[in-house]
Amino acid sequence: MRFPRAVAEAMEAHARRGFPFEVCGILVGTDGACAEAIACENRETETPRVRYQIAPEDLLRVQRESRARGLEILGYYHSHPDHPARPSETDRRIAAEGLSDGLCYVVVGVQGGTETLATAWMFRDADQAFAEEPFEII
Amino acid sequence: MSIRVQIPSPLRPLTGGAQEVQVEAGSVAALIDGLESAHKGLREKLVDADGNLRSYVRIFVNDEDVRFLDDKQTALKPGDQVAIVPAIAGGL
Repeated sequence: MRFPRAVAEAMEAHARRGFPFEVCGILVGTDGACAEAIACENRETETPRVRYQIAPEDLLRVQRESRARGLEILGYYHSHPDHPARPSETDRRIAAEGLSDGLCYVVVGVQGGTETLATAWMFRDADQAFAEEPFEII
Repeated sequence: MSIRVQIPSPLRPLTGGAQEVQVEAGSVAALIDGLESAHKGLREKLVDADGNLRSYVRIFVNDEDVRFLDDKQTALKPGDQVAIVPAIAGGL
């Protein structure tokens, strides 16, 4: 997945700003090139330090707005405060139960609220697993 | 009656790549049946073995989540717009 530098920096800044809670958002673009990372409110109310939820209403709105702009939802991003920048078993299990085939998940690890690392992963129903893919800055 | 249904990208391999399809249906349950008839394999993506909507799938009728209407029994009328939307969550 390819990301303009400003988009990558926006996700990392969001993760730092939200620390120690998880933050999340939606990636839109075309043909493996992310045009924008749209920050969403984390709707998880009980354990937002270790969980995130994107409201279906937010997804519906972004789905419509991106289609009107000729863009697609390519995937999602969320942060892992003080944890590694890789999908957890919870991420994998929920992706497998949901509609995630062929979508990109960016995980932004944020250590101590300052140091960030973003990685990109593709979920495949056939494998029931994430596979890391290049996080390419364009 | 024909209902327009927005298809999210993970389901488009089952609709031949179509972002939107049209189905004849008078309820959400009939719509799921119609989707399965036209695009085999869609039903199991939307409902579980007991026929209930899957936890991480939402169906909206004109911006209303059917879970807050009559779920699968929600009535549809001509001109209604239906959207299938993933519920996205995760964490550590």
